[in-house]
Amino acid sequence: MAGVVVKGRFPRRRIIQIVTANVFRYLFRGAARNWFRNIGSTAPALSSMTLLLLLSGLVGLVGFALHNLEQAQAAQASLLHVYMRDGVPAADVDALWDRLANDPRVASVTYVTKAEALARAQRIPGLPQLAAASDGNPFPASLDVRVRSIDDASAIDNLVRTDIAVDPLDPTSYDRGAYQRIQAVLFGLAVAGFAFLSLLGFVAVTVTMNSIRAAIHSRRDEVNIMQLVGAPRWMVRGPFVVEGAITGALSGGAAGVITFGLAMAGMTAGPAAFTQFAPGITVTVAAIAAAVVFAAGLGLGSGSSMISVRRHLES
Amino acid sequence: MRPILELTAVTRAYGPCLALDDVNLALEPGELTFLVGPSGAGKTTLLKLINREIRPTSGKIWVDGIPAHSLKASRVSQLRRHVGVVFQDFKLLPRLTAKENVALALQVGDLRISDDEASERAMDALDAVGLGDRGAAFPHQLSGGQQQRVAVARAVVGQPRLLIADEPTGNLDLETSWQMMDLFADIATFGTAVLIATHNVEIVTRLQRRVMTLVQGRLVRDQPAGRTGRMAWLASS
Repeated sequence: MAGVVVKGRFPRRRIIQIVTANVFRYLFRGAARNWFRNIGSTAPALSSMTLLLLLSGLVGLVGFALHNLEQAQAAQASLLHVYMRDGVPAADVDALWDRLANDPRVASVTYVTKAEALARAQRIPGLPQLAAASDGNPFPASLDVRVRSIDDASAIDNLVRTDIAVDPLDPTSYDRGAYQRIQAVLFGLAVAGFAFLSLLGFVAVTVTMNSIRAAIHSRRDEVNIMQLVGAPRWMVRGPFVVEGAITGALSGGAAGVITFGLAMAGMTAGPAAFTQFAPGITVTVAAIAAAVVFAAGLGLGSGSSMISVRRHLES
Repeated sequence: MRPILELTAVTRAYGPCLALDDVNLALEPGELTFLVGPSGAGKTTLLKLINREIRPTSGKIWVDGIPAHSLKASRVSQLRRHVGVVFQDFKLLPRLTAKENVALALQVGDLRISDDEASERAMDALDAVGLGDRGAAFPHQLSGGQQQRVAVARAVVGQPRLLIADEPTGNLDLETSWQMMDLFADIATFGTAVLIATHNVEIVTRLQRRVMTLVQGRLVRDQPAGRTGRMAWLASS
């Protein structure tokens, strides 16, 4: 039978393939081609964003280390060493122990003998020499009191320093204001770091926005023609956003790799010192920092180009 | 028959200056109409309003049932798929070949069109405008007339219901201009409404099609087909 027209549905899978290929071509391939073509005008944005992200990564790692340090200090500050008078009767120590253990502000009380105090001191740099220079054991026995809240440390110190079992000359390890001073310094550093990064962020966003604006202006005719032939908004604007995302991803990738590399170099060069000065920074933490830096780059690049496109590309 | 294009009391002002003042018109399918008038009369403004490059200050514009006057920016592309546009300066993408320029208009309008289909339909359109053998040429390798033909192929490849042309013969010699007009007449024959803004008096006079005259933003004359030329005043009086 001749002349029969068979009408069949176009397979859905084939349509999805075609749409995907077209979206990829107009959105991503076009953006990548234009990015390479405009690399000269993109270079300043790329370098400033890389610098910003690298500094952000490093500041982030330093901030994390300082946070850990602060936590350690807080834990340290909430632990009060109450030094016992030499030759104090065990009954007096027990009485004080009972008072403290029954105080609701106290989390725990541990008795540390003179021998244990000496053993502990010998693990702290500098103190073994001091111990060797003295006749006998210069370190007193103590009650190690951990308070529930660091704010209660002062009250507990006041409570114990007049007790008969306590050394009247050097009653406790409590240093009024030491923790607050550390907190103030850390707060100052955090504010300075935030201000510095905000400034750099502003510069990076501005430079990226300008590079996208330059790209829009250099391709104004092309954009105009695309709009006139009926290209939807996403097809006209999308490639510029993808271009920004490429810039951000490359910057973030480079900064992330450098951040991770520097952290690894520090860990390899002096593990002991690194652990002391940058507590909590491990390979995992460095890798997470690198991933965050990369994601931040991607977000910063696409976000700033989106703003630029909204500002400079009329519909 | 429902008009393809309908303007009702359309006014467009640029600051204090009225570019179009209370314009009313309608175009039927298959109608080839000339829009004439001196420079600054508002011809280009009228075409820009139809293609929703600008919005009217007041009035209503319906293009193939779409309200261009109140269309959101995000939906303008839908309107433009119903309107083919030909410009005096061709507006071809220089990086693309003639065939790619034509295929682009198809694919940006409908992402479900494959490369093969777009290529085939683009070649059909180029064939129809007499450029079937120049599909691989870049715009700079084509003459002005050929570039304008590519622009026409691009404008009609999506089979729009309305084709508007802004001074399409402005950059062409007389012979090529006539060829272009033949092409527009052929397109109108197949049911597309064609609106051409032009200064070319000779073409307008000899083709004897509908002519609308704009002067200082006002539609002062609307002469039906066959009633143009030196004695046209008889029809409009």
